[in-house]
Parts: sequence; C-alpha cells; structure tokens
Amino acid sequence: MRKAFLLGLFLLATLLSAATLEVLWMGWPKDQVMPLIEEFQKQNPGVEIDIQLVPFGQLFQTIEVRLSSGGGTPDVYIVDGPNTASYAARGYLLPLDDFFSTQEKAAWFPSSIVAGSYRGKFYSVPYGTSSAGLFFNKEIFEKYGVPLPEESLDARMTWDEVAELAKRLTIDTDNDGRPDIWGIVIEQIDRPYLLFPLAQSLGAQVLSPDGLTATGYITSEKFVEAATFYWKLFNEWKVAPQGVNDSAIAREYFGTGKAAMLLGNEWNIVRLLKYPEIRFGLSPFPIFPGGTAVTPTGSWHVGINSKTKKQELALKFVKYITGKEAVIQWYLANGVAPARPDVYEALPEIFMHPMWQMFLQEMKTTAVTRPLTPGYSQYELILREAFNSIHYGAPPKQALEDAAKKIDRELSKYK
Amino acid sequence: MFRSNRAGWFFILPAFVFLGLFKIVPIGVSVLESLRQTTYTGRSYFVGFENYTYLFFEDPTFWNSFWITLIYSLVVNPLIILIALVMALLLNENRFFTKFFRTVFFLPTAISFAVVSVIWSVVLDPHYGLANGFLTLFGLPAQPFFASTAQALWCLVFLNVWRSAGYWMMYFLAGLQNIPESLYQAADIDGASAWTKTRKITLPLLSRTFAFVLVANTAFNFLTFAPVYIITKGGPRGSTNLLMYESYKSAFVNLDMGRASAITTILLGIILIFSLFEFKWTKAGFEY
Amino acid sequence: MMRRYKKPLVLAAEFVLLTAISLFFILPILWIVASALRPSGPLYTYANPLTLQTFFPTTVTFDNFVHIFKNLHFGRALLNSLLVAVATIAISVLICSMAGFGLAKFAFRGKNLFFFIVLITFMVPFESIVIPLFVLVKRLNIDNTYFALILPAAGNGLAIFLFRQFFSEVPTEILEAARIDGASWIRIFRKIILPLSIPAIVTVIVMVFMFQWNSLFWPLIATHSSRFEVVQVAITAHRSTEDTSWANLFSSAIAGSLPPVILFFFLQKYFVRGISGTGLKG
Repeated sequence: MRKAFLLGLFLLATLLSAATLEVLWMGWPKDQVMPLIEEFQKQNPGVEIDIQLVPFGQLFQTIEVRLSSGGGTPDVYIVDGPNTASYAARGYLLPLDDFFSTQEKAAWFPSSIVAGSYRGKFYSVPYGTSSAGLFFNKEIFEKYGVPLPEESLDARMTWDEVAELAKRLTIDTDNDGRPDIWGIVIEQIDRPYLLFPLAQSLGAQVLSPDGLTATGYITSEKFVEAATFYWKLFNEWKVAPQGVNDSAIAREYFGTGKAAMLLGNEWNIVRLLKYPEIRFGLSPFPIFPGGTAVTPTGSWHVGINSKTKKQELALKFVKYITGKEAVIQWYLANGVAPARPDVYEALPEIFMHPMWQMFLQEMKTTAVTRPLTPGYSQYELILREAFNSIHYGAPPKQALEDAAKKIDRELSKYK
Repeated sequence: MFRSNRAGWFFILPAFVFLGLFKIVPIGVSVLESLRQTTYTGRSYFVGFENYTYLFFEDPTFWNSFWITLIYSLVVNPLIILIALVMALLLNENRFFTKFFRTVFFLPTAISFAVVSVIWSVVLDPHYGLANGFLTLFGLPAQPFFASTAQALWCLVFLNVWRSAGYWMMYFLAGLQNIPESLYQAADIDGASAWTKTRKITLPLLSRTFAFVLVANTAFNFLTFAPVYIITKGGPRGSTNLLMYESYKSAFVNLDMGRASAITTILLGIILIFSLFEFKWTKAGFEY
Repeated sequence: MMRRYKKPLVLAAEFVLLTAISLFFILPILWIVASALRPSGPLYTYANPLTLQTFFPTTVTFDNFVHIFKNLHFGRALLNSLLVAVATIAISVLICSMAGFGLAKFAFRGKNLFFFIVLITFMVPFESIVIPLFVLVKRLNIDNTYFALILPAAGNGLAIFLFRQFFSEVPTEILEAARIDGASWIRIFRKIILPLSIPAIVTVIVMVFMFQWNSLFWPLIATHSSRFEVVQVAITAHRSTEDTSWANLFSSAIAGSLPPVILFFFLQKYFVRGISGTGLKG
C-alpha cells in the first residue's frame, strides 16, 4: 500500500516535472511576451512554461552562470545570434539538424540560418533579424534648404555625400559655439554591428575565415580607412555627437530634432512613432565611393540546452515560438524585424510600406552576417572599446592594432 | 573581556555556519581559481601564480586600471565620509526639520546603484541633460561629463557621493546615539563652544563607528562596478576602467576565470591593507 | 536632561546649509518624479532648457504607475522583495547580533580568525563568488526557492562588524555585575545588550533591507520562475539595447524606492539621543 503510494507519488512528480519547461528569455516587456506563452499553454494543456525574463544588462552573465553550472536547465534559452558559435563550441547547444528538415529551414532568410549555424551544423533557430539604414529628418533638411536624399535603393548615397550633408546640417542655432543640431547621430555608437559595413563596403574582411585571427584583418588598410572616416565624423568635422552610446538616447536626439540624420536599425520605423512631431525619410545604408553595398543583419535566436531532459517538449516550444503565427504576434507586439519571409507576406498592410520594402530588399541582397567565431563576445567587446576610443579621438590605426593584439590573445584559446 | 571558549563559540556559531557555507566556501573556490586556468571547453588546470605574474608584468591594462582604481578610491572615500559626517552632525539633534532632511538625504540610497547609474547617465548627458540645463541657465558652458577623459572619473566620484553619502550618514547617526548626554551637559556648564564639543567629545567617542564606516566604505568603493558597466564601459579611452570592470570582463565575457579571480584577489589584498591602516589610524584596534 | 538651545541665528544658518545640501540630493529625483508623472514622451524636452516645468509637470497623470502595476505585475515583485527582505532581517539580526556580542565581549580560541572571516566577506565582490555559490545552492537543492534568496544573505559580515563595534561600547562592568547576580549569558544578551543597542539594531535592519532590496544579479541566478521576480529585476527590465521605456523605468524606480524610504522614515526616530546609551559609557 505504502509502496504503491510512493510509486504513485513518484510517477506524479515525474509527470508534473515533465510537463514544465524552463525557458530563459530576454527581458522584453511582460505584456508583450506573456500572451505568446499563454497561447502555447492553451494549445498544450498540462504543459507549463516556466519563463524567466532577464534584463538585457544581466542576460549574458545569467546565461553563462546557469549553463556553466550544468544540470540541463534552462531547457530553452534565447541566444544572441553571434553567440551561437560560442555556445555550440562549448557543447551548450543541441544540434538541430535532425529536427529541422531542409524544407523547414527554408522558411527563414538564408543569412539567418548561416548565423544560427556553426561548423556545418544548425544550432539556433532564428527568432528575429535586423537591418539598418539612414533615417533623415525632412523638416531640418527643408528648413536649411538642403535637398532631400532620394528614398530608393537605386540612389544609395556615398559616405562622402553623407559627410557633406552632415557638415551642412550641423548647426549652432544660438551661437554658443556648440551645435544645437547635429548632422548625424549613430545609434549604438561603438557597436561593431553598425560599423562593420563601413569597412566591408571597402572590401575589408573583419576576421580571418577560420574566425580566430584579427591582426591583418581589422588592421588592414581598408579597415583602418573606414575607421578613420568614422574618427573624422566626431573629431575632425565634428558633425556627430560624442558619448551617445544608448539606442534610446540616440533616437531621442533624432526624434526631437537635435540631429538631422540617424544611422540606425529598422526598429526605428516603429519606435520613432513615439515622436509624432517629426517627419522622417529613409535612405539606404551608405557605401564608400566605388565600394560594394553591405548592410548589417542578425538578431535573436532560440536554442535548446544540449543537456535538457525534455527534448521533445523543448522542440515543440521552439517550433511554436519561432513559427509563423507566433512571430506575427510577436512582431505586432514588439516591432523587431521577423526572420521569416512568410511573415512579411502575411502582413502586407505593414510591410508593403516603402521603408520596410527597402529593408526587406537589403536583407535579401546586401546583408552580411557578423563573423562566425566561438570567441565572438570577446572579439566584439574589445572591438567595441576600440571603436569607442576612436570616436573619442584615439588614432584609429593604433587603436585597432592594440585591439587586434588583445583579440588574438583571447581567440588563441580556441585554436 | 570574558575569557570563555564555550560562550564565545556559542554566540558566533550560527553566524559562523552561515558565513562559512555561503561566503567562505565560494570565496575559497574563487581564490583557488586564481591559481588555475580554464580552457574554453571548461577543463581547468593548475598554473601557480601565472595569472598574477601576467597581470603584473605583461597585461596591457592592469596597471592603468590599478592606478585609476586607487585614485578613485582615495578621492571618493574621504569625500563621502566627510559629507556623511557633516550631515549626521547637523541632523543629530531632534528639531522640527530633522526628520525631513534625514529622509531627503537618504532618498538616493533607496534607489539601486544600477538604476542610479541609468538616471545619472541621462542627467549628465553630454549635450542635452538636466545638468547641462542647469549650467546653461546660469550662463555656464555645457560640459561633456562622462564623454570626457578629463571629467568621467570625477563624474563617477560625484555619482557615488550622491548615492552613498546618505547611507553612511545613517551609521554615523546610530553611532552618535551612543555618546552620553552627560558629557555634553558638563561641557555646557564649562561654556564650551559647539566646535570644541564636536572636537573633544563627539569625534573621539565616535571612533568605533568611524572605523566601521571607514573600513566598510573602503571596501564598497574599491568594488565599484555598476556605474562603470552601465555608463562608461571603462571609457572614454580607458579613463574609468576600474579593476572591478576588468575582472567582470574576464569572468563573463572572456571566460577567463583565472584572470578574473586574480584581479579580485588582488583587490581583496588591497582592501585588507587599507583596512589595517584604518583600524590603526582610528585606534579602534583589531583587538580591544 | 534639558540642553541649552542654540541661538536662532545658528539654527537658521544650519537650516540654510541643510536646504542647500538637500537640493543636491533631491533635484535629480524631482526630475525623475516629474517625468514619471507626465504622459510618456521625449525624455529631454523638459530637462534642457531648464524651466519650472522641469520639476513640476503641468499635466499630472498616474497612467505610468497604473500600467506597471496592472499590466506588468510590479506589485508581485514588490511583495517578493518584501518577503525576502523581512525573512533575511529576522535571521540576520539574530545571528549577527549574537556573533557581534561574541566578538565584542569574549576572548576565545579562533576569535581573530573569525573576525578576519567576517571582514573578508564584504571585501570580495559578489560577481566573483556567484558561480561557486550557485553550484552550492543547487547541491543543497534550494535553487529556485525563496530559501535561495534568503539564506546566502543571512550571514552578513558587515552587520556582525557593526554589532561588534557597538557592543564594545557597553561597559564590561555591567555585564560582570549581572554575572555575579547569576544571570546566564543568554539572559545578559537579551536583557542588557540588545535593549542598549537599539540604534545598532535599527541600522542593521535598514542595512539588510537595503542589501536585499537592491539585489539584482543573484535573484536572476538563484531563481528562474517568474513568481520569484524581485523588484530590481522588474525595474531593470525596462532598459535594453533596443529600447528604453523611460516612463516605465522611472515610475517603477520611484515605486520601488518607496519601501526603503518609508522604512527609514519610521525607524529614524530611534536615532535620537537619550533613547539609549545614557550615561553607560565609563
């Protein structure tokens, strides 16, 4: 009797635990995330999604600590695209090739599948993607008699043209010696994400093909040339404000008419609605004269813990949350670009908008994924510090050479 | 002082168990980690003092961070303590406004360091923030604050004073209550001035509280991390790259636990050395 | 007991000085409060140039507060943090005051070692012990419970250090007299030491409360279910690399700072001369 009771209890416990899935998620607003989770629970009675929303500032540390202590949880976790290689190399991610057919994978942009793969295996399912372009404030252009840039991919401006515009539109309205309108503000001033395309447009490679050497790549003549241009924006022409290293603040500058142009992500289409007073246009991501068009891309992915004890349920959840229906809902709630072309087709009233069409075209033709390396987070942080220093006036060549040395030391452990 | 192993251990035992388990074991692991290196796959091996020798003799950033941390602490420590002490002395007696001002001074402490950092990053915006609004109102030129290699570290000092002075004031207030009223009455009869009373009675009898605040504040400030992480990321150009931020980067970005632990162990050593001097200086010795 | 009152002029000077200091503390907070009470909009509109509106909004709305409580369940986070803080205080005050007494009034083997341990516990950054601590908490099988948030914070070196400093001020002769009268150590601790140390106890209550109230990283590691979400996690989540919701951030930061302020406001009445320590010092 007692034995049977205990056995029953044990069975009940396993049943209960089998039906709970631990999910570590990015700290997006609850009122945006929870409806999606509740919908899944409704579709799968008896399943509980135990979701943790981790603020961005603590997200990567939390993932590191939770995964490095072992134990198979969280079962499912959010992965910043470029971190796929790092987690995969350390065995934290379940290879997904057996569970996603080629046909299924075709639902996503090819660049997103590349970003979710490492050494030929598919590890993290795309949840969103991104693109970037040059937003401009029509009123400022008109007020100061500067012709508006053409909002077309065929009229992609060169960086030299952008610099000229920025110089004309950096304006000291009250004559106190400091600009009151800046020519251009860069969203996320030191993020390699936004700055790689400058160098890539000149033909530079940003990391060796095996992903383990930076010297000779970020120190190449082309890369330094791009970084020098960046340096000039802040230090020689002084057309961009220093020290704006927050996306929301950069948008604030642009949205309140304190900057004529904003080099920023596609999400600004939605987020600039907070500033109903400005009329803005969108020009494609600029290139250097004679260079090739390159745009940044990539965003969040979803991965499954390689040690999960609830693989089947985890897969079910991942397929749900990255599936068409959920991503449509997610876009409507949050506004980050979907990584699935079918979502764009499903919402024509939104995505037929010329700005979205421009970004969509960029994603399909000019998008270049960030380099695939198990040491991406180290590489990115060091490069970020270098870009930060450069924008504050450090000599670009020296800053990049120092950074390359540090990066190579960090990456050597993956050899 | 009572000589009794049994009574002594009886009183410290519960705390000893909690501290031993949840603090000393992890600290021990961390210190031992500083003698090891870990491969990216998680295998770790003993390397002796290699992490330390690398920091001391080869690391390109360690000494810069070391000096910055030292300067920062040497400025911010006395500043916070001085302001906290003055505030506590001004608010020690119960008058109609005492409660109000005490609470106002305590307000910033009720906001976490992370949120305080976000607030000050926007207040000190290099171009349009509240602080620059003030400066222009008074006809002064706007300042770059965190966007300047010359000002960023002092902005960190400023931020820390704003956030912490009220907190340490509380300890001084508590300590002041231990000073017997009779001493002041005696001094009053002798016609002593307020300054004399402060110097001859208050400060000497506050020495134990003073030692506490000095040592605790030293440790807190050497371990400053949140504002660097949230506002400056060590910049501009390395000017706010405090040791804790270097350690954090090693631990959670570079996956180099050896270097991270070596840095925090060095910090522990520095704090201990400072504390020793502080105990000596305040004569509130290690042993009474 | 009566003391000579200060001259009105001195009092006025002190008042002016205090007002000046308090402006330094309160102006940024006033701006945050004003921003939270305004309908959400651009951040810097009222910050620069500076006007009276910077600190006193013309249209006041509580929508931002309603939103965080109604749609983002901020109340749940407040309750969690409150529960964790109160439970930690209960354990902490007891064990830390005992240890402080042990250190202040007894000579015993291992005392210096213990004091050394007490000191280094607050000299090591939490970030460097988080991984071993998490492994330990998992091994004790208390991860994802309130215990994981409470127990590791219960032993507080800073609190022990503070109690030690304060208990040292209690004259040993009183304790000796009580011993001669046959009082046990526990009785002495309860009936003499603790009643004489109200300011110290109050300070430790605030200290431990603040420590738990402001913790952010450990709760994220130690618990993962949303039902354990604590207040700082709920506040910090409003800021990310893609966007920052200033209205939500500011209103939750204000709501989240009220409990510690209220606690301090009511407990500070114990920081009044004459309540304890009267004439005890030799």
